[in-house]
Amino acid sequence: MNQERVYKVLLGPHMTEKAALAAENNQYVFKVAQDATKPEIKKAVEALFGKKVAGVSVLNVKGKTKRTRFGTGLRKGYRKAYVTLAAGETLEDFSGAE
Amino acid sequence: MQVSVETTSQIERRITVQVPAAEVDEAVATRLQDTAKRVRLNGFRQGKIPMAVVRQRYGKDVRNEVVSELMRQHYVRAITEQSLNPAGYPSIEPKVDQTGKDLEFVATLEVYPEIELSGIDGTTVERPQAEITDADIDTMIETLRGQRAEFQPVERAAEEGDKVKIDFQGFLGDEPFEGGAAEGHELELGSNRFIPGFEEQLVGAKAGDEKSINVTFPDDYQAEHLAGQEATFKVAVHEVSAKALPEVDADFIKEFGVEDGDADKFRAEVRNNMEREVRQAAQNRVKQQALDALQKANDVTVPQSLIQQETDGLKRQAAQQFGLGEDFDVSQLPNELFADQARTRVKVGLLLAEVIKQHELDASDDEIRARAEELATQYQQPEQVVDQYMQNDELKGQIKSAVLEDKAVDKLLEQAQVNDVSMSYEQVLQAAQQSEEAAEEDEAEESDSKA
Repeated sequence: MNQERVYKVLLGPHMTEKAALAAENNQYVFKVAQDATKPEIKKAVEALFGKKVAGVSVLNVKGKTKRTRFGTGLRKGYRKAYVTLAAGETLEDFSGAE
Repeated sequence: MQVSVETTSQIERRITVQVPAAEVDEAVATRLQDTAKRVRLNGFRQGKIPMAVVRQRYGKDVRNEVVSELMRQHYVRAITEQSLNPAGYPSIEPKVDQTGKDLEFVATLEVYPEIELSGIDGTTVERPQAEITDADIDTMIETLRGQRAEFQPVERAAEEGDKVKIDFQGFLGDEPFEGGAAEGHELELGSNRFIPGFEEQLVGAKAGDEKSINVTFPDDYQAEHLAGQEATFKVAVHEVSAKALPEVDADFIKEFGVEDGDADKFRAEVRNNMEREVRQAAQNRVKQQALDALQKANDVTVPQSLIQQETDGLKRQAAQQFGLGEDFDVSQLPNELFADQARTRVKVGLLLAEVIKQHELDASDDEIRARAEELATQYQQPEQVVDQYMQNDELKGQIKSAVLEDKAVDKLLEQAQVNDVSMSYEQVLQAAQQSEEAAEEDEAEESDSKA
């Protein structure tokens, strides 16, 4: 995977109550590019944060449908990745990622 | 809490305070818990934000806030413990400010100087006195007439002091220049509002005359392209009017508040006013001399911070006087202009406070009321004003300190030798004018010592 792609895979941290709970189990949640694959995400996290990754699960979050007086519309969805770090690794300053 | 005090100069103190790390951490933790309940973050319900997230996001800010608060609190505690009497505001610098270490900070402050008052024994003070003669009153009435003078059109050549209504246009060579033309301009001859030579050459002009006037702009004229140039003005004179002094008749007298227009009453009124002026002038002069002597007799190191405060106050006053408006940034004015005045005022204020303390002077409510009544005579409804003064603690305090100050000055004068010097009315006022600035100063001084 080339360097350029590394910077395009991870879109940013995903900070929610659920993500905060997950962080206690060494899982960190990211928004990722729509076409990112698990191996790509694993490599990107390892390259950017220098931490060993044990596993990645991904899912697509669908946008909500919103109805206005002009008819129905669809909000943008996104792809979310739960990255489990290898035992003993932690991400300290998580909120500031790309 | 550990406190150590260093004496860096006569009035400057430096205190170093240590606050245990545990105390700081505890304060930070409590503050963070408050924050956690209060803030809203996207992705979290209010009040459900995990502590870890709050700490990560707000930890630094909260700590800074807590630290500066703690520094202030401990500064106050430190100076009370060490019984220091600070003048002005301290400058507080954190020395060690790290998580897990004891917080250490240094506060530099100035304390009020210990004053050993030396009196003004043996100084001589001049008290001007003036008898108001009939001639003085006549002069005063003349002046009043001059103030009420009106300009009346006359059919004669213009003289110095007359007002002329003119159109003019200025030429450099043959070219008219910008800003050199006006119509229907009213110009008082001899007021020196125009370029030198312009007004003089209009003397002798009649209504309807057309004149051309040659003048040279002064070298320091504000419009640069005109400075030093020779110019010709074409002037058309429309009207010449002369100053007409009003007669001293019933109407004239009524304007000054004597209802029945009686000339004798008017003279008595004028005399009263003049006598009051003389009294005030004499009082101010004496007070000024006493304060000057006091200031010379005592050498006091004045805290820089007080001077700075005073300077700022003076600057604001100055800005107000020049009509610069509320939002004018006073820090634009240079400090140096006011520093000396400020120093004197602070010094006099400190010394007077000491005099008051030493003689255990106090002002009773009756004395305050008397002074308030005096002030209130200027208003429409004196009783209301007096009541207002007596009820408002701040205003009452102001008057009280004015009374105290006068008492202090009286005490000082007991030590000094007061010579009566008789002068004419004008001389007294002139002398007063010289010390007027100084007099204004101690009026402001009054407002300081209240604070």
